[in-house]
Amino acid sequence: MRSNRRQFLLGSAAVLAAGAAGFRPAFAAETDLRQIFWGSQERANRTYKTNDLFTAANPDAKITGEFYAWNDYWPKLATETAGGNAPDIIQMDYRYIVEYASRQAIAPLDDFVGKELDLHDFDQDQIEGGKVNGKLYGISLGANSVASIVNTAAFKEAGVPVPDNNFTYDDLRAACEAFKKANIRGGMKAFQDGSGVEPLLENWLRQRGKALYTADGKLGFDANDATEWFKLWNDLRNDGLIVSADDQALDTGPLDQTMVIQGKAAVTFANSNQLVAFQALTKDPLTITAFPRVGKDGKGGHYRKPSMFWSVAQQSKLQSEAAKYLSFFINDVDANKTVLGIERGIPAAAAVRDAIAPTLSPQDQIALKFVANLGDLLGPIPPPPPSNAGEIDIDLMLKTSQQVAFGQQSPEDAGQAFVQQATEILSRKG
Amino acid sequence: MTVRPLGADSDLPVGGRTATAASPWRQFWRRNGAGYAFLSPWFVGFFGLTIGPALISLYLSFTDFNLLQSPHWVGGANYLRIFTGDAKFMQALRVTFFFAVVSVPLKLAFALAIALLLNRGLKGLPIYRAIFYLPSLLGASVAIAVLWRELFAGDGVINHLLGYFGIAGPSWISNPRYALWTIILLSVWQFGSPMVIFLAGLRQIPQDLYEAAAIDGASRARQFWSVTLPLLTPVIFFNAIIQGIDAFKSFTPAFIISGGTGNPINSTLFYTLYLYQEAFGFFRMGYAAALAWILLIIIAVFTGISFLTSRYWVYYDE
Repeated sequence: MRSNRRQFLLGSAAVLAAGAAGFRPAFAAETDLRQIFWGSQERANRTYKTNDLFTAANPDAKITGEFYAWNDYWPKLATETAGGNAPDIIQMDYRYIVEYASRQAIAPLDDFVGKELDLHDFDQDQIEGGKVNGKLYGISLGANSVASIVNTAAFKEAGVPVPDNNFTYDDLRAACEAFKKANIRGGMKAFQDGSGVEPLLENWLRQRGKALYTADGKLGFDANDATEWFKLWNDLRNDGLIVSADDQALDTGPLDQTMVIQGKAAVTFANSNQLVAFQALTKDPLTITAFPRVGKDGKGGHYRKPSMFWSVAQQSKLQSEAAKYLSFFINDVDANKTVLGIERGIPAAAAVRDAIAPTLSPQDQIALKFVANLGDLLGPIPPPPPSNAGEIDIDLMLKTSQQVAFGQQSPEDAGQAFVQQATEILSRKG
Repeated sequence: MTVRPLGADSDLPVGGRTATAASPWRQFWRRNGAGYAFLSPWFVGFFGLTIGPALISLYLSFTDFNLLQSPHWVGGANYLRIFTGDAKFMQALRVTFFFAVVSVPLKLAFALAIALLLNRGLKGLPIYRAIFYLPSLLGASVAIAVLWRELFAGDGVINHLLGYFGIAGPSWISNPRYALWTIILLSVWQFGSPMVIFLAGLRQIPQDLYEAAAIDGASRARQFWSVTLPLLTPVIFFNAIIQGIDAFKSFTPAFIISGGTGNPINSTLFYTLYLYQEAFGFFRMGYAAALAWILLIIIAVFTGISFLTSRYWVYYDE
């Protein structure tokens, strides 16, 4: 009986908690906007301050924001949407926008453009990036690109030159060897294990004239490519040049678990706008640089993509108020200059970008210049990934790289298996 | 409560059915109405929050529901895929069964050992009992799982301790060979609730049996095997069922320790974690519902087998 009673108490507590979390308080005013986003505490602070500025400028409008880590965000958003309780303002990602737009979970914003939503000096490529089937579903919160996050202090200690945009995979091996010889900070490696990092694989494929996915949603590479990829990293690992399989497996996603923050490696692979968030977690000065080139003439691996969007829920009764907020968020010089900065990416509204550029910290300048000056590294933006591709990114890729790292599969077998399983995932319906 | 068959006290002849049908009902309500009235909030919860959603999930398991669009009927396709083409399902079963088969006996043995120690008339028993029970209260929490991650990481506390003995330990939680074992250890550490039940069970064993055994010359060990253990079997049985079901439903530790991935190499892909991934990670709610129903059947079969075999080893003093 003891356990029944306990279960009952737990059950009722859960019901109460669910009720408290799921239902909007009855006293919330009609113009209270709900907002949801993923990110770090740093991003939340900046966002909430901007919300306060918006309320100061529009006294009737109040915004209640909540934020989650990336992994928790999507389940939360999907369940709230399915439950008819979607927040009004939704942070959206390039990976999911097609899914949400085609299922009518987010609203087209074309009707608000030129009225509530001011896009007069917004970068055209960023507007295009937010379109699905010709309609505007997402307002880009900034351009970004993939980038290596580099701990410059560690490179200095090891006496190794900090990588620049001409850095190749051969240079990577040389830097790793130099780090091994220097043996700083209890055997810190130069690089993390990149074999499970999907954007890095994509970048490597693009430089070789291939793609992760084709426009019709198929795999854009074959088993030979995959084998070569896993072999490249396996050789580095076997020579003790990159972090061990044990250490790399500790990284399950959050930034504080990455190898550069854990002090296991001096370089981690991430996105240009994340420099701010990474820097908030370590005292060592960080910088960003391009992903390695496949050879001296390797180019076109990078692309500028909307780092994230604001979208408006189809279910929202306050779409025009939400559009007004979006407009404030992307256009208000004061909010962008004093609070938002480039934490979400380089602002796409020209006036804002020009106004904030001189006020940025040296480090923010690095990110701004990096995205603006990719040169021949820059290629065209690929189509949004097909549905089900998320499973390849967060599950299959990581699992396969670990199977090689822990010696359960040879790179050859892993390459075959990866392509076969990825194809199966993409062809799966429902 | 003894249940009297309805109408058992009716002495009316057959054929008077329509005239008397109300009478047993009225009697029933007079006798039990207040009880059911008090139970009604529970009924609302039971039907609204347990049975209702369960039936809906049964329906969804035959659809391709993806949370955002309305479900379409797909017949047995989900079940067919689970049983014929899903390697991760097999892996999740392997992990979960291994966990249940190893962690439950270990936990019960540990709980019984501590209960035996505490049953020897220690001073300050309530304090010890509370201390040993504490992990059970904390154990299912997120905080403990996070703590576990820190303890068993590559440069965590455990490896620092091992370092004093010259042992360079691996990163326990991120090595596919050991990751599941750290979760088993976490589960065994939460032995408090079966321990308290064992303690109560030990108190029930009549002292005169031990006295009689001692007079017959039985050693302590002999007394344990011939008196304590047989008389404790109903409690062992109860604990095994409850802990077994809990083991099959285990979710939080693996979710936190692996960051929701079930990695390294799916070595901590518990059944519920896989189910969660399918439902909320990849939005295949219909498929996840089918997985959930298979888990329900597995637990039911496991419990059924336990009850069937119990008559051969559980001793009821009747």
